[in-house]
Amino acid sequence: MYNTKVRGVLVEGNKSYADITRDIIEPIESKVPDWWKYAFIISIGALLFGVWASYITISEGIGTWGLNNSVAWGWGIINFVWWIGIGHAGTAFSIFLLIVRQKWRTSINRAAEAMTVFAVLCAGLFPLIHMGRIWMAFYIMPYPNTRGPIWVNFNSPLFWDVVAISTYLMASAVFWYVGMIPDFATIRDKTASKIRKAIYGFLSFGWVGSARGWLRFEALAMILGGLTAPLVISVHSIVAMDFATSVMPGWHTTVFPPYFVIGAIFSGFSMVLTLMIIIRTVYKYQSYVTDSHINAIAKILVFISLIMGTAYSTEIFIAWYSGSEYEYYTFFNNRISGDYTIAFYGMIICNAIIPQLFWFKKIRKNIILVFIISLFVNLGMWFERYVIVVTSLSKDYLPSNWSTYTPTVVEIGVYVGTLGLFICGVLLFLKFIPMIAIHEVKGILKPTSNGRYHKK
Amino acid sequence: MVGTIKNNNIFGVFDDEDVFLSAMRSMEETGIRIKNVFTPYPIPEVFRIMGLKTRMPYAAFIYATIGVILTYAFLYWTSVIDYPVIIGGKPTNTLSFVIILFVMTINIGIVMSLVTFFIIQKLGPGKSARIVHKGITDDKYVIVIEKTKEMSKEDSQRINYTLFEYGAIEVGEKEHVENI
Repeated sequence: MYNTKVRGVLVEGNKSYADITRDIIEPIESKVPDWWKYAFIISIGALLFGVWASYITISEGIGTWGLNNSVAWGWGIINFVWWIGIGHAGTAFSIFLLIVRQKWRTSINRAAEAMTVFAVLCAGLFPLIHMGRIWMAFYIMPYPNTRGPIWVNFNSPLFWDVVAISTYLMASAVFWYVGMIPDFATIRDKTASKIRKAIYGFLSFGWVGSARGWLRFEALAMILGGLTAPLVISVHSIVAMDFATSVMPGWHTTVFPPYFVIGAIFSGFSMVLTLMIIIRTVYKYQSYVTDSHINAIAKILVFISLIMGTAYSTEIFIAWYSGSEYEYYTFFNNRISGDYTIAFYGMIICNAIIPQLFWFKKIRKNIILVFIISLFVNLGMWFERYVIVVTSLSKDYLPSNWSTYTPTVVEIGVYVGTLGLFICGVLLFLKFIPMIAIHEVKGILKPTSNGRYHKK
Repeated sequence: MVGTIKNNNIFGVFDDEDVFLSAMRSMEETGIRIKNVFTPYPIPEVFRIMGLKTRMPYAAFIYATIGVILTYAFLYWTSVIDYPVIIGGKPTNTLSFVIILFVMTINIGIVMSLVTFFIIQKLGPGKSARIVHKGITDDKYVIVIEKTKEMSKEDSQRINYTLFEYGAIEVGEKEHVENI
């Protein structure tokens, strides 16, 4: 049904179908390595720090954060947007590449989707905590109430966020899980452990791999992909509209929605790169996540980096060309120069300049350099959100309102906690779920490799 | 005819995709009715040989249409009929509904398509799988032919022989094989 021709070798090392099954379920079948245990303990520590910080925030209030009347949004919103951006990775990978029939996504999509689910979970925590009274969180849902009933404001981007992000989390989780059903069935049939057989048997929903099953499975994947692809665009456009529909200088711009969507895909792809390099090295998956996979992602990053550079230049140009003195002040006196230059130049260097190194094949082939550059992009995207949120708010139209912002340990704690939650989630994923989509890699093995396919 | 009805079947196991596909083609040509096949990954050629088609994309379109209608009805009822709030003099039945319509269409489309898939494929949490051969989720391909009442002993022997002739590495019999 969805068969396209592919060029090049996507699975190296003369793998047979049985080899693929064995290689990918090996981490599930064997004991956890020591590094996994240490990383898990550290991530739990970070998570506990976050639990403490969230407890302080909820029990004492938002006053424990470094926010003030002018800078009413700080790390909470920065990290929310940052995590949502990373959460775009899975969808960008799996869904866009699925609907354009790109075969090289098959070894990477599972991990990218896992990342999406965990990143969106982390992102969702911030607005909830930021509400102050989290036990009132259900007020954001439109339900028949005793207040009139008065309904939520369906014209507010903040409510659109609630609808879009919860739909996005649901869609990503569904897409992820449905894709795992045949692989759970593989583990069910291969494992020697009775407990694993029972658990994965339960999770595999009775999947047997019949022809009709596969046909409907592929159709469902395309439906989910086709429906979720526009959702990706809308989720980050709505996040951008949280900012763009206000009248703050530096926020009130029409370029924001596309600029945010591209930025999100940029940070998502770089996080995929970071994680895939770790996974392929630690689990020795170089045959599946080949150098050409890394090369392809690096090429996409250099292209997106150019778009990012264009977006930054457009903003600065329009700030001058529009003749609005407030816009001019924000960009020229509060970003390019002023109190927040470190974040501004950090953003420009990490996002628009450093990824340009990927133009050179030698650099794209050097895994360590690629890894370092991917970390720079993650950092740069965090700086970008910091620049957007803090600089505009700190110096608005009225000089008597001006104030500076520094985060408190509680805010940092919440952020570190979400990092802990994310890493903890990823580690559990590495241990309990096949991190490469077994059936998808098998599906592309024949047209994309020149080895034997069957164990004789 | 569903999987729970008692039935007896002959199955042939193949360990090579090309041999398996040519066996399927030959069996279709000789008029042996293939009941079901099991493969470790989706093979588009299998769908073509068996002439399988799915109407799920049409269903998804209908679900999305239902989604957009339901969501608009809800927004109209809450914002225009039940408790109209004038915000900045703007109309209560407003164009900005389009965002929620867009997202909820996707939301309802996804949920209903998913439920449809599980219902027609009869999958669900904890369902025990009736596996014809252990290798079908690893590296084996299985063709299943139903042994009907009209089939004589010679007929089934002929099918066994044909499966071996077409390259099956193993042939056997199994009861209660699903045809979905």
